[in-house]
Amino acid sequence: MMGKTVKWTLISLLLTGLLAVGWSGYRTMSHTLHPKKPFIIYIPKTIDPSIEFWVVMQQGVTMAAKEFGADIKMMGTETELDVEEQIDIVEEAIRSKPDAIMLAASDYIKLIPAVQQIREAGIPLIMVDSNVEVDLSNSFIATDNYEAGRISARLLKEHVKPAEKIAIVSYIQGTGTSLDREKGVRDELGASGYSNISHTIFSEGQVQKSYELTRELLMKEPDISGIVALNEPSTVGAGKAILNLGLQSKVSLIGFDNSNSEIRLIDRNVIQATVIQRPFNMGYLAVKTAISVIKGQKVEKMVDTGSKVITKYNMYTNENQKLLFPFEDELPEK
Amino acid sequence: MRLMNLFSRRSIHMNIAIAFSCLIVCTTAILSFSSYRLSSSAVTSSSIQKTSQLVEQVKINIQTYIGNMESIASLVISSRDVMRFVDATQADRESDESLKRGASQYLRSVVQSRKDIASILYVNKSGDFVSDQSHAIMKSKSEWTQQDWYRLALTSSEEVVSPSHVQHIFEDQYRWVVSISRKLPESDRSQEGVLLVDLNYNVINDLCRQIELGQRGYVFIVSPSCDLVYHPQQQLIHSELKSEQMQTVLDMREGSIKLGKAEDSKMYTVATTSFGWKIVAVTYPDELIENKHQMQTSAALWGVLCLIVGLTISIILSYALTKPLKNLEMHMKKAERGNFDVRVDIEGTHEIGKLARTFNLMISRIKELMNQIVQEQEMKRRSELKALQSQIQPHFLYNTLDSIIWMAESGKVDDVVEMTTALSRLLRSSISKGEELVPVSVELDHIRSYLTIQSRRYRKKFTYSIDVEDSILAAPILKLVLQPIVENAIYHGIKPNPDQGHIQIHGWREADSILLTIADDGEGMDPEKLRTILMDKPGVSGGTGVGIANVNHRIQLYFGQDYGLHYESEREEGTIVTLRIPYMEGEVKDDGKNGKMDVD
Repeated sequence: MMGKTVKWTLISLLLTGLLAVGWSGYRTMSHTLHPKKPFIIYIPKTIDPSIEFWVVMQQGVTMAAKEFGADIKMMGTETELDVEEQIDIVEEAIRSKPDAIMLAASDYIKLIPAVQQIREAGIPLIMVDSNVEVDLSNSFIATDNYEAGRISARLLKEHVKPAEKIAIVSYIQGTGTSLDREKGVRDELGASGYSNISHTIFSEGQVQKSYELTRELLMKEPDISGIVALNEPSTVGAGKAILNLGLQSKVSLIGFDNSNSEIRLIDRNVIQATVIQRPFNMGYLAVKTAISVIKGQKVEKMVDTGSKVITKYNMYTNENQKLLFPFEDELPEK
Repeated sequence: MRLMNLFSRRSIHMNIAIAFSCLIVCTTAILSFSSYRLSSSAVTSSSIQKTSQLVEQVKINIQTYIGNMESIASLVISSRDVMRFVDATQADRESDESLKRGASQYLRSVVQSRKDIASILYVNKSGDFVSDQSHAIMKSKSEWTQQDWYRLALTSSEEVVSPSHVQHIFEDQYRWVVSISRKLPESDRSQEGVLLVDLNYNVINDLCRQIELGQRGYVFIVSPSCDLVYHPQQQLIHSELKSEQMQTVLDMREGSIKLGKAEDSKMYTVATTSFGWKIVAVTYPDELIENKHQMQTSAALWGVLCLIVGLTISIILSYALTKPLKNLEMHMKKAERGNFDVRVDIEGTHEIGKLARTFNLMISRIKELMNQIVQEQEMKRRSELKALQSQIQPHFLYNTLDSIIWMAESGKVDDVVEMTTALSRLLRSSISKGEELVPVSVELDHIRSYLTIQSRRYRKKFTYSIDVEDSILAAPILKLVLQPIVENAIYHGIKPNPDQGHIQIHGWREADSILLTIADDGEGMDPEKLRTILMDKPGVSGGTGVGIANVNHRIQLYFGQDYGLHYESEREEGTIVTLRIPYMEGEVKDDGKNGKMDVD
């Protein structure tokens, strides 16, 4: 009688065990079939919806997130100038233990400790658009800004003779991109014998400031016949100053990036050319690279997303239209 | 045949379990496989179907939009305000501002009534124009004459649908539109001109963007001139980070095609609108394959689960079925080893229950028979012992010896010799080799010796005669059956009677039986005694009664109930005992003398 009870207990135990094994097997299988989405934190220089460059980059990020199945959280400051805040945000990002961080450093030097912290936490790091002085990233995805600077200088040379005076309008002192671009401009001009370059003025990334400083400079130094403005607000501000002073036939302006304001200035022949980047591609490739790093694949240390020259004559080609005029609904209301 | 061998070698339990398991394995395998096949093909075909339905839907929507634009274009052309402007001479237009204002107002009211129209414009070859935007400044003629909507409309007799582009005919306006333009031919009153209706690109953009095709799938639209009207990743395609199989798509009118290698393969589903745009849905077959993997796994897992449950049930079931059989078998083994006390406790009316009941019945019958045999053997043994004991009682021996002594003292030498000879014979035949059966003649010799002795002892008290047919002398008889009867006749029949008695022994064959009668003419017996004499009740009549009953019992044990002793007796008349045994031809070893001996 005892033996029988034991037997039945054994059978039921065996059955339960097999069921448990089956269930856990099923769970593991379905887990491998539906792996958890990688969690990536994206920290741009600013989340200001009025700056087209970052909005378009975000579109690229979103597109890639959908395609590669990633979960992206965007964290950022209101303005590009708020370096301290960005450091805080990086620290907060580290605490939430993401699978990777994508960062556009708003300062070339000050962000180094924060970047080091990311590395120490063992989180894969993708730098986008702007790096820091000490490269600690798994990959750096950006326009080759030095090359872009040289291209802009080459464009200017078509309009300005070597002896004529040239001004440079930069944006934030200490940002990696501006340093590279300015160096590119100066190297290219210097190599071609353009030596009459006035000192660089800084717009702090604001149109108004750029307008005021450029206007002041043009009035003070009327012999200037060429200006290179190193980012979008600087370009628009400089263009407005030229327009205001009625100097469009005398002063050539080569700008960077694009916006509707810039396009209007190109249409009015105030801006001769602008060197644009591909923020959409930058965002897209940053996510793609981050996913590769998470999967443990080998990635390029440096990815150049390239730049493109836009003039009045090529701005309405099919390809450039899409780069220059993001669909209205994709951009927040201004 | 081999299959049968396979089955016959194992236990029923095993066989049932194996049979069940095979059945379950086959069934589960077939079911799992077929359900996987069915659902996987269902998923694939339904996904293809769903995609083509979606594409068809997008195509219809876009055609409807474009159709609406075309009908608006017709409406505008037929309106009075616009016609007046178109038909007016250049001089009239310059002098009469109201012509342009009226037409512009009309166009504005049309545009405002519909959200999907960005703008409407009429322009003629000399650059006179009217649009819904009365304050917008048109760019110089050289800029817009090169644009597709104008250039192509002039060379075509039908509506021209230009792909998505930024409309930049007005200063400071950069709107994404799809242009529908139409040539207004030269007439006697008016110049050749073009009517342009711009459709808000957002309409198409929204339509395509909201479409979900799996995780990564999307829809794109391409114009016959290979310009992308809509593509979610247009920027990636322009910078050549991505590419589509444009040529293949353009060559297709509709249907689906799978392109690219295994993991990177894409499924293109194409539909073509009436004006040539291709609506293309791109899906990723490996998303389906992921589904397939999932289905495979789940089918396999459920299969294994069913298998485990099924196998367990089959083992339990076969165990339950064969358990009573095993039980029965175990009990039979016990019986085989000689234990007849077993009882099988199997309830129920099924076959095994019946078998068990029959087995129980059989065992109890065997047990009964066995007991009977044991009992009979025991009785035989005991009665033989008694027979031996009753052969020669010591008293008989003393008395005989006393008689011999007395005869010797009185000098009767002949009597002594006779007596001693008889005693000697008696003893010899008593202490024989212990066989059960002896020939009748030997038994008769023995009884003769006994009678000689007794007749000498009870001088002239009785006489005797023995008359037996020769034919039965060689037949076997149980040994020492006559002596107790004769003894009984002497002691209870002759001795109490004052007269001289006679004992007569008569033997003959009757059919298959031998009959021996021992008759005396003594006291006889009362009916009570006659009734109980053959009953085995010790002490009823002082020892000899037991002897008689014992003799009867021995005969019956040996030869059966049909044989034995029969008593007839009457008071004062005497007693006749009839002994009946079967006649047998059997050879019995003869160690005594044959023949007839008559003694006075």
